[in-house]
Amino acid sequence: MPTLIELKDTLARTVDDPFTHVADGDDLATGDVIVSLTRFQADGERLLSEGRRVGVRVAAGEEVEALAYDLPRLSVVALDFPKNLDGRAFSNARLLRERYGYRGEVRAVGDVLREYAAFMVRCGFDAFEPADGASANEWQAATGRYRHVYQRSADDRSPAFVERQG
Amino acid sequence: MYQYDTVDRQMLADRTAEFRGQVARRLSGELTEDQFKRLRLMNGLYLQLHAYMLRVAVPYGSLNPTQMRKLAWIGRTYDKGYGHFTTRTNLQFHWIRLKDAPDILDHLATVDMHAIQTSGNCIRNVTADPYAGATAEEVDDPRVWAEALRQWSTFHPEFSLLPRKFKFAITAAPKDRTAARVHDIGLVLRRARDGALGFEVIVGGGMGRTPYIGPTIREFLPANRLMSYMEAILRVYNRHGRRDNNYKARIKILVAALGTEEFTRQVEAEWAKIGDSVDLPDTELARIRGAFTRTGFETLPARSEVFEAAKASNPALARFARNNLKPHKKPGYAIVEISLKGIGETPGDATSEQMEAVADLAERYGQDDIRVTHEQNLVLPHVKLDDVAAVWAGLHAAGIATPNINLVSDIIACPGLDYCALANARAIPIAQHIAEKFRDPDRAEKVGELKIKISGCINACGHHHVGHIGILGVDKKGEEFYQLTLGGSGAEDAALGSSLGPALPYEKVADAVDTLVDVYLRERQDGERFLDTFRRTGVTPFKEAVYADAH
Amino acid sequence: MKALTANRLTDGDVVFWKDGQWVERFADAQLWADDDPAAVEAEGHGKAQGTTVIDVYLIDLIESEGFWAPLSYRERIRALGPTNHPHHGKQAEGGAVVEALQHAHGAARSTGRVNLIKRK
Ligand code: SF4
Repeated sequence: MPTLIELKDTLARTVDDPFTHVADGDDLATGDVIVSLTRFQADGERLLSEGRRVGVRVAAGEEVEALAYDLPRLSVVALDFPKNLDGRAFSNARLLRERYGYRGEVRAVGDVLREYAAFMVRCGFDAFEPADGASANEWQAATGRYRHVYQRSADDRSPAFVERQG
Repeated sequence: MYQYDTVDRQMLADRTAEFRGQVARRLSGELTEDQFKRLRLMNGLYLQLHAYMLRVAVPYGSLNPTQMRKLAWIGRTYDKGYGHFTTRTNLQFHWIRLKDAPDILDHLATVDMHAIQTSGNCIRNVTADPYAGATAEEVDDPRVWAEALRQWSTFHPEFSLLPRKFKFAITAAPKDRTAARVHDIGLVLRRARDGALGFEVIVGGGMGRTPYIGPTIREFLPANRLMSYMEAILRVYNRHGRRDNNYKARIKILVAALGTEEFTRQVEAEWAKIGDSVDLPDTELARIRGAFTRTGFETLPARSEVFEAAKASNPALARFARNNLKPHKKPGYAIVEISLKGIGETPGDATSEQMEAVADLAERYGQDDIRVTHEQNLVLPHVKLDDVAAVWAGLHAAGIATPNINLVSDIIACPGLDYCALANARAIPIAQHIAEKFRDPDRAEKVGELKIKISGCINACGHHHVGHIGILGVDKKGEEFYQLTLGGSGAEDAALGSSLGPALPYEKVADAVDTLVDVYLRERQDGERFLDTFRRTGVTPFKEAVYADAH
Repeated sequence: MKALTANRLTDGDVVFWKDGQWVERFADAQLWADDDPAAVEAEGHGKAQGTTVIDVYLIDLIESEGFWAPLSYRERIRALGPTNHPHHGKQAEGGAVVEALQHAHGAARSTGRVNLIKRK
């Protein structure tokens, strides 16, 4: 099982993952699950009615708009970074936070690399399954490396143009 | 010029510290080449044929003398005493050692320079009009907006893993010196009838394997809404641009596939939802604008007797003045172009001594301002006419007073197979051979404006598609061949060149260009440029002449 | 004939394989007959040296003026240096092999990686 790193108030720590990733063909196990968007659209109502917590895995080519009405009921949205440095999940994450005001966990899954950790945090991710074996400490160092940012994004950091106004 | 403050400086410091750690991890074996490659590319460090190449960003082509001297020093200390200015107005060092790269980045940071986003699928260096702040043609200073774009695009969290690289050009003059219509986004500043400032937004131009002249998707975007509109375009591109095929991943393919109308509709819909929270407040725009306001101009007569007398007694200076001087918005001043296209030299190369000479001249006579053009030349944008003779003498002593701006020997050429790992054929020696043919400056002047642009492969770093004569290196059965195109233009009358005929072998290219010029001189009517004649006559007379001996 | 080339990790310099070492001059490179399995073996060894070299590959050679020269133009330029700066790179040293490379005729393929050339 991949390590799960959670980021709260700029502190990164390794946590036990209460969720099970369930692939499309697989049994729905018991307990809290993360399923694909397709599976959610088929079985979501039932899963939620069973009282479990439900997360949805959104592939890079899928759009979070499809979840617009379900978001309040979702505990996790897991956004996938496919291999070959595909940044579509950055847009999905920002939309979840900024456009839909989603407050649950936004988790980075797939090819999750520490060099992009700071960007992920800025786009609204708060949980990570690193693919490069990064520890919580390394992850935190990577997210905190830059003292300033130039533009507004989904985090609450003040961009340079605000800082400069003092 | 824009001055870095603490915020800007700390961004660079954080970046160089990060890179130093990454290089150490690579050298110790902790990182494999696969893991490291993308990290070094994020810092402009490529592996080429003979060594590493470091591409240093020159944001919107603007340099001060201190920066230029530092580049000269780096060239002397870590390279072979020179640097190469590129068509993105950046500077490349071609003989860099990996183990030196962190130190070089530290040295660059001391003069507010870096190699950030000079590679990778992110927003690259913005091209701006090299005459910005000096030409009377412009409706506003495009550097203000270029600097705003620089900050907005630096480490942009959402747009750092785009489908492909992304390039902006921005100009505020009707005469386009930025090739705005062949960029991913071209921005042309305009004033509305009521005096309001706005941008014409051109999206999806480009060169490479599938060249396009970009369509205008908005005639007038209120200037203060620039950032949110750019964010909307980039978001549509980030989400919908193709990622399955590198050759189809640029935004031009998306725009062409959706059609301009549908693409525009998607951008406008996204823009409406984004709102204005990412737009820069007027205070920040005013702060940036203040950095570019130049107050040091003297009130001078439009004509300088000193200069006129100097020209009368020095024909070489007079020739330089005819070709390399451009009108300045202030009477008694001129824009001085410095050609890095000495006959027989490598286009865009400057030695450390030459860089230092330019820095000295800029300091003494040029209000500390130096520009790099996408045509691989330098510009001193603010020189008093009274001082032009002294500037010329300084350039002459440094071997960079070549009087050929916009002439047939002012050739753009990418590094090609002499350096570049992606090349099919050499570009530099082709440029040298052609320039040799026009060594006689009288003949070159008689030919007039003629833009020759050479790329060593279809990636088109040498902008061949938009050359009046474009030359593309191809690999034909394993040998260097060259495909010629005619009639391209990267200016306000942007056009893609059309093919002349079958590709020519290396030895035939310079002669073919010579023939093309002869045909033009024979066919041209009053005042026509090469491009105008070609547009009137079409390809036939040119084609017949070049391929005559093949029949 | 074939030779094995790479770029050195620390400085990017072009290097050639010789009896288990990397050398800087093409003139010193070890050469193998086209069908000699030792070439592929050496390539394997070279590729395993990830903290010494990068981009390890075999190149094809042809005969030129009694010497062996890389078949491809690209590889000749790597072995010599850029043609626009005759004093930069390995060519600066001169010598018989350098001259033979400079005058080499033949196919002048612009891509010389063995596996990239389609053989007829
Ligand atoms: S056009 Fe091709 S050969 Fe020239 S610099 Fe670009 S990638 Fe290299």
